[in-house]
Amino acid sequence: LSAFSLCPGAGQDVGRSCILVSIAGKNVMLDCGMHMGYNDDRRFPDFSYITQNGRLTDFLDCVIISHFHLDHCGALPYFSEMVGYDGPIYMTHPTKAICPILLEDYRKITVDKKGETNFFTSQMIKDCMKKVVAVHLHQTVQVDEELEIKAYYAGHVLGAAMFQIKVGCESVVYTGDYNMTPDRHLGAAWVDKCRPDLLITESTYATTIRDSKRCRERDFLKKVHETVERGGKVLIPVFALGRAQELCILLETFWERMNLKAPIYFSTGLTEKANHYYKLFITWTNQKIRKTFVQRNMFEFKHIKAFDRAFADNPGPMVVFATPGMLHAGQSLQIFRKWAGNEKNMVIMPGYCVQGTVGHKILSGQRKLEMEGRQILEVKMQVEYMSFSAHADAKGIMQLIRQAEPRNVLLVHGEAKKMEFLKQKIEQEFHVSCYMPANGETTTILTNPCIPVDISLGLLKRETAIGPVPDAKKPKLMHGTLLMKDNSFRLVCPEQALKELGLAEHQLRFTCRVHIQDPRKEHETVLRVYNHLKGVLKDYSVQHLPDGSITVESILIQATAHSEDQGTKVLLVSWTYQDEELGSYLTSLLKKGLPQSTA
Amino acid sequence: YRDLHTFELQAPTRLIEWARGTRVCVAGYGQSGGNEILQLIPPPTLQAKESQGLCPERDFKVECGGFSKRPVYSLKYVPDTSLLVTSGPPDSSLQVWQVSAEDSDVIKPVSTIVTENGTGQPWARIATISARAPWVLHGSTLDSVQITEVELRKTVYTAASRDSEELSGLAFLDCNTLLLCCARGRLCVADVRQPQGPVEAVAVPSVPCGEQWCMGTACGAQGSELSSQPVARLSSRGLLTLTDLRKPSEPLASAKARVPSPGSGAEFLCVSWAPALQGCLAVSGFDGTVHVYDTQSWDSSGREAEPVFVHKGHAFGGAGGGGDPPLVTVHTWHPQKPRTVLSAATDGSLHVWDWVEPCGKC
Repeated sequence: LSAFSLCPGAGQDVGRSCILVSIAGKNVMLDCGMHMGYNDDRRFPDFSYITQNGRLTDFLDCVIISHFHLDHCGALPYFSEMVGYDGPIYMTHPTKAICPILLEDYRKITVDKKGETNFFTSQMIKDCMKKVVAVHLHQTVQVDEELEIKAYYAGHVLGAAMFQIKVGCESVVYTGDYNMTPDRHLGAAWVDKCRPDLLITESTYATTIRDSKRCRERDFLKKVHETVERGGKVLIPVFALGRAQELCILLETFWERMNLKAPIYFSTGLTEKANHYYKLFITWTNQKIRKTFVQRNMFEFKHIKAFDRAFADNPGPMVVFATPGMLHAGQSLQIFRKWAGNEKNMVIMPGYCVQGTVGHKILSGQRKLEMEGRQILEVKMQVEYMSFSAHADAKGIMQLIRQAEPRNVLLVHGEAKKMEFLKQKIEQEFHVSCYMPANGETTTILTNPCIPVDISLGLLKRETAIGPVPDAKKPKLMHGTLLMKDNSFRLVCPEQALKELGLAEHQLRFTCRVHIQDPRKEHETVLRVYNHLKGVLKDYSVQHLPDGSITVESILIQATAHSEDQGTKVLLVSWTYQDEELGSYLTSLLKKGLPQSTA
Repeated sequence: YRDLHTFELQAPTRLIEWARGTRVCVAGYGQSGGNEILQLIPPPTLQAKESQGLCPERDFKVECGGFSKRPVYSLKYVPDTSLLVTSGPPDSSLQVWQVSAEDSDVIKPVSTIVTENGTGQPWARIATISARAPWVLHGSTLDSVQITEVELRKTVYTAASRDSEELSGLAFLDCNTLLLCCARGRLCVADVRQPQGPVEAVAVPSVPCGEQWCMGTACGAQGSELSSQPVARLSSRGLLTLTDLRKPSEPLASAKARVPSPGSGAEFLCVSWAPALQGCLAVSGFDGTVHVYDTQSWDSSGREAEPVFVHKGHAFGGAGGGGDPPLVTVHTWHPQKPRTVLSAATDGSLHVWDWVEPCGKC
C-alpha cells in the first residue's frame, strides 16, 4: 500500500490537496485541488509525477473528490480535460451539484477579469462533470470487480465526505477536511469501526486549542452590532458556501433576539443558489435543522433578503454578505470600494485570504490600495478578521482514529511543520504506526493480507471430534492439507487430498528393539508383557494374538530371544507414523522393565 | 469583563506556568498515566499590550509537548536553560525535561532527581532560580528541603531540620534566601549560603489550626532585597493573612474571603499577587470561581472582605449537567497585562479573562 502527496514544494500554508494511493495494484487519486495563491501553472498539481508516459486513464482506476472547496477540486477540469482523463470521478451528490458553480465562478474571475489564457473553459467544466458519478452516504460503490468505495459524513461543509477505498481485504480511509464537532447547520463527522490498513487525515489544525465558539460568535456579533448601532454598514465577503450559511443563521437568530431592524442582505448569484442547494440537500445538514425544518425552514430567513446593487447606495445601517470572499473581484469588491471611505463602516473577513488579493492586503494593514486605472482607494472603514473555519483539532483527530481503528495513520499537513509530538501521541495511545511524509515523499505501508481458505466439512467434523471440547479462548490446532488449485485455497483431509491429486499414500512404519532380561521362554515373556500392559494401559485395547504377538491398538509387539544371550529377550515394537505418540510411550514404558512377579 | 476567552484542554491541568515571557505551560495530572505536558503559544490577543478587536488567530497553539507517566502536580522552568522540572506522586522525586522547540516539538525526559528516602513521601513542591547556577529548590516536608543543581544533579544545600511537617509551598525570596510555607500555616526562612543551614521559623502570629494553608509571594526578582511585597497566606476556610517579612510579628492585614462551606479541601488552594497592580491578589480553589481582592483597604481585623471581581466562568462552563461542578485548580496573572488572569478547572477548561472593576475605578 503506498500513498504519495502530489503537491511538491515546501512551506505552503493553505495549499492544495491531491493524493495518490496505490492499493493492491489499483491506483486512486484523492482530491484534485488548486492552489489559490499562484497565478501560473504552479496552482495546478504536476500530473507528470504520476506517470511519465502512458495515459492517465489507463493508470488511474478512479478519482475521488471529498468536497467542493477549490483547494480540493479546483484542478479537476484542468486534469480531466486539459491533461486528459476519461475514467470515473466520484463525489457526493451535493458536491456534484455545487462544484461546477464554484469552478465556473472562479473561471470567470480568472479568465474574464484577469484575462488569463491557460485555464479551463466553461465547456470543459461541463464535460468534466459528465464524468462524475454521484454517490450516497454509506453506499458501497463497485468501481470495478475488485475496487469498491464508500462515502462517510464529514461535516465541514455541505456534502463533504470521507471515503473508504477497499480492494479485497486492504483498505484506506481518506478524510479530506472534516470536523468532529457539530455546528449550527452541519453535523459532526462519523465513521464506523472499519479498521482500515491506513487512515489518511489532515493535521493542519492539530496543534490548535480553539477558542470556544461562543466567544468567537459573541465577539463577532458585538462588532456587527456596534457598527450597525452607530449607523455604519458591515460588509462580510463570503469565502465558501458553508461559512456563509453559518453566519446567516447566527445573525438571523441574533436579530430576532435583539429585535434589530437594520436590513441584512445576501448578494445575488452564488450564495442564492447555495441557499437553494442547502434546502435541496437538507438531509446533509444537522439534526436540529432537519427537526425544525418542518415548522420553520432555517434557510428561509426573516431578516435576510436578496441584495440588489442599488442598495449599496442606500443610507443607513445594513449588513451585506457578498462574494467573492477575498475581495479580489466581483460584487464584494464593488461594495467595498463604495464603503471603504467611511470610517463608520466595517468589513469583516471571515476566512483566509490568499496573497495578492485585496482581502489579504487590507488584513496586512494596507490602507491605501491601488485599483485599476491607477486609482488610489483610501480605506477608512474598520477592517476585522474572524475565522470560523471548521477543521478537526488534535482532540478531533484522536476521536476519529478511535472510531475507525486503523492499523496505520498518515498525517497530511499544509506546513512543513514538525509533528513529532502528535505522531508520538497517536502511536502511544493507539499502538499504530504514524507517518508524516514531506511533500513529494512516498509512504509505503506493509499490510498483512488475509487469505480466506475453505475448509471441507468432513475435515472440520473430524478435527472437532478428536480431543477436548474446543475452548473459545484457546486456539485449537487442526491438521489438514492445504490445496492450492485454480486460484482457490482449500483445506481438506489428507486422504481426499491424495485422491484429488492422484498420489499414493506412503506408509511409514517404525520398529524399535527393547531388551528385557528374562531367562524364561519367549512365550512366557510375551505373557508377562501382555499382562503388564493390560494392567497399565486400561483404556487401550491390548490383545494377545494366537501367533504369539501382542497388539496395543494398532501397535505390534513381538518377542524373540536374543541371538547371543538366552537370558535376554528382544521385544520388537512396531508402529505406524500415525501412532507415533503411543508408540514412543510404549517403548519408554517397556524400557523401564517388567514388574517382577506377574500372574 | 473587557475580554473573555474560553478554551478546552484535552485533559485538565492544575498548573499554569509562564515561560520565556510569552509561553504558557500546562500539564495533565491523571493517575493512570498518559499525561501530556504542553507548552502553548498564546493567541496574539494575549501577547499584545493593547487588546485587539477581532483577531485572526484567537487560538492557543501547542508549540511542543511531552509525555509523562506520572501525574504532573508541579512544573517549573529553569531560567536561562532549556530545561524544566516536574514533580508529582507517588514520591518526592523530580523529573527533568529538555525543551528544544527549534529542533523538534517533543519535550524529552532527560533525567530524574531522586531524593533519599523519597519513596512514600508526598510529592515535592518546587521552585527554580538561576543565580549562581541553575538550581531547583524542592522538598515535600521541612526536613527534606534541598537545593539541587539541575544539570549536574548535585545537591548544593540541605535544610537542617528534624521537623517532618508537610510543606505546601516554597520560594526563593532572593538568591540567598528561601521561604518555606508549611501546610499547617507556619512560615520558615533559611539562608542557602550555609550548605546545611538551619531553618528558622518566621515569628508570625500563629494561625488557627485544623486548616490547610498555602502562600503566595511576589515573583522574587533576582538580586533584590527581601521583597517589599508582603507574603499572603490562604487557608482552606478562606482566611487570608498578609505578612511583611521585615516585621513578621506584626500582622499587616487579614481578612476572610467569602467561600462556600464546607470547603472542598485544600487540594487546589491558590493565592497570587498581581504583578502589575499594587496590593491586588487573586484567590481560587474553593469552587468554580476566582476572586480578586484589593488588599489596600484591609486591616487586621480578619473581617470578611468584598472581592473587587469574581470570575464565575468555570462554574457555568460544564459540558452537560451531570457530575460534580468544576473546581478551579489554578490561576495565574499575565506578567504584563495588568488585569489579565488565566485560570483552569477540573473539567479541562482554560479561561483567559481581562476584568474591569465594576465601580469603574482604574
